[in-house]
Amino acid sequence: MTPASQATSHRSAAKRSTRRPLVAIGLLGPTLDAGRDEKRWNRWRPTVGLHMQDDLAISRFEMLHQRRFDRLADGIAADIAKVSPDTQVTSRHIEFTDPWDFEEVYGALWGFARKYAWNPEAEDYLVHITTGTHVAQICLFLLTESRHLPARLVQTQPGAKRGPEDLRSPEDASGRGSVAGTHAIIDLDLSKYDQLASRFAEERRAGVSVLTAGIPTRNPVFAALISRIEQVAAATRAPILLGGPTGAGKTVLARRIYELKKSRNLVEGPFVELNCATVRGDAAGSALFGHRKGAFTGATADRPGLLRRADDGVLFLDEIGELGHDEQAMLLRAIEDKVFLPVGADVPVLSDFQLIAGSNRDLREAVRAGRFREDLLARIDLWTFRLPGLAERREDIEPNLDFELERFAKDSGKRVTMNSEARADFLAFATAPAAAWQANFRDLGAAVTRMATLAVANQAGRIDAALVREETGRLHRQWHPPAPDDDGLAILGQRQLDRFDQVQLADVVRVCRRSRTLSEAGRILFAVSRQERKHANDADRLQKYLARFDLTWDQVVGDQP
Amino acid sequence: MLIIDGSQGEGGGQILRTALALSAITGTTVKIENIRARRPKPGLQRQHLVAVQAAARVCNGQLEGDALNSREITLTPQSPVSGDWHFDIGSAGSTSLVLQTVLPILLHAPGPSTVHLAGGTHNSLAPPLEFLTDSFFPVLYCIGISVTAELQRHGFYPAGGGAMSASIQPWQARVPLDLMERGKSIGRHAQVLISHLPAHVASREAQAVKHALHWSHAEVDETEVKAAGPGNCLIAKLRFAQVAAVFTAFGELRKSAEKVAQECVSQVTGYLDHDAPVCEHLADQLLLPLALGAGGRFRTGKPSDHTITNATIIGLFLGDRIVLADNGDRTWTVTVRGGTA
Repeated sequence: MTPASQATSHRSAAKRSTRRPLVAIGLLGPTLDAGRDEKRWNRWRPTVGLHMQDDLAISRFEMLHQRRFDRLADGIAADIAKVSPDTQVTSRHIEFTDPWDFEEVYGALWGFARKYAWNPEAEDYLVHITTGTHVAQICLFLLTESRHLPARLVQTQPGAKRGPEDLRSPEDASGRGSVAGTHAIIDLDLSKYDQLASRFAEERRAGVSVLTAGIPTRNPVFAALISRIEQVAAATRAPILLGGPTGAGKTVLARRIYELKKSRNLVEGPFVELNCATVRGDAAGSALFGHRKGAFTGATADRPGLLRRADDGVLFLDEIGELGHDEQAMLLRAIEDKVFLPVGADVPVLSDFQLIAGSNRDLREAVRAGRFREDLLARIDLWTFRLPGLAERREDIEPNLDFELERFAKDSGKRVTMNSEARADFLAFATAPAAAWQANFRDLGAAVTRMATLAVANQAGRIDAALVREETGRLHRQWHPPAPDDDGLAILGQRQLDRFDQVQLADVVRVCRRSRTLSEAGRILFAVSRQERKHANDADRLQKYLARFDLTWDQVVGDQP
Repeated sequence: MLIIDGSQGEGGGQILRTALALSAITGTTVKIENIRARRPKPGLQRQHLVAVQAAARVCNGQLEGDALNSREITLTPQSPVSGDWHFDIGSAGSTSLVLQTVLPILLHAPGPSTVHLAGGTHNSLAPPLEFLTDSFFPVLYCIGISVTAELQRHGFYPAGGGAMSASIQPWQARVPLDLMERGKSIGRHAQVLISHLPAHVASREAQAVKHALHWSHAEVDETEVKAAGPGNCLIAKLRFAQVAAVFTAFGELRKSAEKVAQECVSQVTGYLDHDAPVCEHLADQLLLPLALGAGGRFRTGKPSDHTITNATIIGLFLGDRIVLADNGDRTWTVTVRGGTA
């Protein structure tokens, strides 16, 4: 189907007028299709009735049946030839000893679907699900839903629907329907149904709204990201990795993903979160995996651990890069095998949770530096989303400002307003390129909280231009602290350098300290020459440059707060 | 190219059959739009499709849109082709309808033709072969048309499996029709056809007909026929010096024998209610041959939607040449100007 026809296929899907041959596939019904004497024509027989539909012309019928029903199959083929001479009937043997055994029937039908020479480019397919046991119907449905059978379903039923049409013209005034029955075609491609499609779209909009806490986004990149997360959250229980700078909203988003899954009955257990940077060593192990009483000094009782608590739920591990090596190994096993060993225990514990990991560090860099297990990263790096910082979403600052004011009102019980001049001033400052928003939403939240608190205290709950000026000044100083006397060269200690080298090294150190990783600093420092691709490894170049002064990366950035 | 709105009037298969026949005979490309537009299941159904495709074949024409559920078809005809024609239509259609469609076309072919039809010969889609041979063909003979047909085997709905053939001579001499009176009554006869059904069905129908119409034993027959499946049909014939009228009703599941008889009887009494010679079905069928031939006139009962639609379609191809006039005595006079008149 071409894209153009897909767009207009809603109605035509059910009643397409096309010259493509229509091929029906169906099980012979040993009960419903049976009957050898002439009285069989007084009864509705689904397989024959399928070929008597006024608005269905079947070019070929693939009749699936067991060898022991060969005689009935021959009779049905002959009857189809009478009612629909243009239909070519092909008899295909399919064997199962127990038609109520799901595994056996599914296997047999799956085998047929695998071997059949499908040609969906040239033919349309219908799978007739009225005949066969209920188990067979379920199998046919599942195989069609999974596209092993690239077909639409057709269901037939006895009896004519006698509408007013029947009386209008002698052509229609007949009891023809009672033996032929009626049919309905079911396309499992739900997007073909206008009403369902609009309900799905509505559900998706609601899902996106859950993920953004109802804050509208004006940033197309962020909107696309959230829309994709909505799809992934609904579709998978595989790990999700949320990246992005601190304060970009990873924790909030993880919790909202959980709420979205919960609202759609995709998760039963609780939301459990841990910031891995807050626990170290034994404490981390027992917090995550639990411990047996007496496992170590101070372990005075059994502790189930967070993984156990997150069973059937969602476990959010923020700053996963801070996790120790042993914990990383245990976590990997817990994700892969859904079992882990509590500290001091010798019986593994089961827990089935979805992991959402957060990290503001480049985990690849951590793997290179040997701080993070490569296999664990590979396992959690399946669905990776990098949340943009607030500075990359300046158009979203205004809706988030309103959201923060609303939240303050909810938390404090005091409604705070902002006059239009104050609002304009604040937004002008906030959206200007100079506003760094280093801690992102945390900065914005704190700014609003400060302004609102002062407004409540001093000005009857109204934020004015003076308060905004005070706040923007504070933010500016926070992001651009006055340069300390140290020009960065204090790390050289007593060593003396040529003035020529001093200038260069001071700038390199400044860049290093502003960068998160060696690679990032390298990229900035060699931004021009790296374009020529003569020097592949900026990090290596930088390392070698620092080595000339007996300096390492860690020394250069090590004394940072 | 002539474009026809297929939803007008009775809006069914009759428009298709008349338009396609006229297209083939006059050599006019025709496009029919909005086919069965006002029906719950619009577009071509299987019974229409077989007729459409048969019409195209006997004029060596090219069809566009001849697919199931299609609401628009175009026929680009060449010229009628005589010969041996075979159509296997299954039980979805009616052999009579297909024959009615190709007959006028093959009359205009250079040589004689034989048409073999397999499938449903006796079903409620159309009057059966007995109507054609006993009522319609004799009138055609009067205007110079020589056609005969015979039934090899009955094919009832739903099993079908019937067979019939017709032989058609090219139309040589065209004679105007003047059929205003029935003439003297010669006889009447009803026949119950039955296949693979209990004998009491036939006897009850026969009994009901005799009782309702006061017909004698000799005037009602019960005939068991050999068909592929069960079936039942009641055919009543009224013979007059100038015309014969044939009325049919079909048995079907959950319809009582008495109901079948009553359906047939009410058509007979309706016909006997006035004195016009041409029954409703015959009137439908006569318009086209008269318009293509030397014209003429006949008297009939109140024109049906089918008849009026038919006249309209003929007018689109040949110009207005059919006049329906109310005689005020529950009969109408239909005057048709012929092709050469």
